[in-house]
Amino acid sequence: MFKGMPKIFWIGMGLIYGWCFLFMFLEMTIPGLPLKIFLGVPAAFIYNWMFALWFIPILVSYLFFSFEERREAQKEKEVK
Amino acid sequence: MNVNPIVILGAVLYFAVIFYIGWYSRKASMDASDYYVAGRKVGAFVNGSALAATYFSPASFLGLPAFIFLLGYPFWWALTGIIAGLPIATLLTAAPLRKYAPTSFTDYYADRYDTKWMRLIAAIPTFIAGIAYVTLSIIGTALFMLAILKVDFAVSVIIATVVIYVYIYYGGMVATTFSTAFQGVAMTVASVTAAIYVIANYGGLNGLTEAVLANSPTFFNLPYVAEKASHPIMSMWSGVVGFFFVWHFGFSAMPYTVVRFFTSQDIKSARRSVFWAVIIGGAMYCGLVIIGTGARVLIESMHPLMQLENVTSAITLLAHMKTTYGVAGAAVTDYSMIAAVEALKSPFLLAVVAAGGLAISMATAAGWVMVLNILMGRDMMGKVMGSKLPEEKPVLITRIMTTVVLLISMGLSFSPPALVLDISGAAFIVILCSVGPPLVLGIWWTRATTTAAALNIIVMTFCSTYAWLFAHYKLGSAHWFFLSDAANKISAPHQFYWVFIGFIFFIVVSLITKPCSDDVIQKYSLDIRPQTELKKYKSL
Repeated sequence: MFKGMPKIFWIGMGLIYGWCFLFMFLEMTIPGLPLKIFLGVPAAFIYNWMFALWFIPILVSYLFFSFEERREAQKEKEVK
Repeated sequence: MNVNPIVILGAVLYFAVIFYIGWYSRKASMDASDYYVAGRKVGAFVNGSALAATYFSPASFLGLPAFIFLLGYPFWWALTGIIAGLPIATLLTAAPLRKYAPTSFTDYYADRYDTKWMRLIAAIPTFIAGIAYVTLSIIGTALFMLAILKVDFAVSVIIATVVIYVYIYYGGMVATTFSTAFQGVAMTVASVTAAIYVIANYGGLNGLTEAVLANSPTFFNLPYVAEKASHPIMSMWSGVVGFFFVWHFGFSAMPYTVVRFFTSQDIKSARRSVFWAVIIGGAMYCGLVIIGTGARVLIESMHPLMQLENVTSAITLLAHMKTTYGVAGAAVTDYSMIAAVEALKSPFLLAVVAAGGLAISMATAAGWVMVLNILMGRDMMGKVMGSKLPEEKPVLITRIMTTVVLLISMGLSFSPPALVLDISGAAFIVILCSVGPPLVLGIWWTRATTTAAALNIIVMTFCSTYAWLFAHYKLGSAHWFFLSDAANKISAPHQFYWVFIGFIFFIVVSLITKPCSDDVIQKYSLDIRPQTELKKYKSL
């Protein structure tokens, strides 16, 4: 199952789920975590709104296409 | 509240651009390939923007802020789950399916499982979900028409259906790809602009948070660490995690997005499309989080209708809208997002948001109607029943199907059975647990069998639909586990667990039934994976 899936896929999945479930867990164990001030604003705007919702998915989708393009270019070089 | 000429001008400008694109690209949609998959000529940014506009629907634009309004901060994780699910599609389905290059959603099921009857079986949940989605798109378009024209909801539904009909009738996939790309940008601009207005109104994120807490002290409460949860459904971990997963895998397996992978130029472009979809969709969702968070306090402190004698809260204001404009069923809560924008009293902002709302609604309707009319015309009439008509006159047949689909959906839109986001959640779960496993594991597991695919689609469609309807009608909400004791209910948003059960069921049945032929496995599983240097099936 999943033979041939590039390793970067599992790294990306680990990053997404690791980040989201870590903070979900922390929110359910540390009272008031979303409202604790971090970088001048309530922490939820940093770890959830900016990072989990936008930056990390952008980073992962970038890694997915760029690693594959690099692998394909390398393969083409080898064929030539 | 009166009709504002600036708001109407914004809508007219939006329609002018959309119909110009449709008219300009009309010559490009004359043969079957162009009509179905845009001639596979669409670049990464255009396809990515179109992907975002098609995938995100009024369920996002109206429904997600409405649910933050109802359930509070913990629902932010649902929006995170949706955007975090987009990149997964890049390598899981987008690249393999573009490599395989089919025309229709059901092609893969017929080829991988080696029987034309899989088209018919895969069509069952796709049709149910498709009609649900076209219906919610008409409702979304109608609510924005109501916001612009201040006409009765029933009239808005008819206008919305006619607009969507004309738009699809003259375009097919070519017009819908290019105009949808424009719509993707329009909806994001609308959401981000509205969010900037909200943040500026409260002098920053801290001011917004303070205003929200002053209005709803439990808004940011999470399960187990606060005395009172933000909402009973969010009082246990399964409510928060469940909402994260309801839409999470949709981008990888929902028919209306999967077909957009077919239209990209090549595999490289298909992968890059997802990157652009994340940027565009993620920006829009950041805006929606802010609108939803501020909705209640904005409505209750600033909406002009709050001055009326019988209007004392956001909920009574929405009830007033229901009686004044005849908004039917649950759709009135979906108006909360528009009401929040109205509260800011900027005709320019309302014009931008209305244009963005129309964009997102029409794009999704077009995407789903294209899936359904190809499904009923080319696939059912042509490939299953053997009629030559869809091949000889593809455009005529798909236009007839468009008429049928829109008439059925319009009929359902007059009295929406649930909130648009609830209709969307039900459709997602039905599709993801039924046709999701045969699609994903068909590509990535050589052992996936025809019997398992057929059984999984039939059994999971029935189980998930039954559980959702049972919870909705017997327990009062589809977000309670359907076998819960009425006095001690367990959160299970949209019965999301069926997605995981679907995959387990599919694997177990596959292991005890006969595998597909070696040729089929080689061609439709191994050869379409990214690393094509895989050995031949028999030597694996």
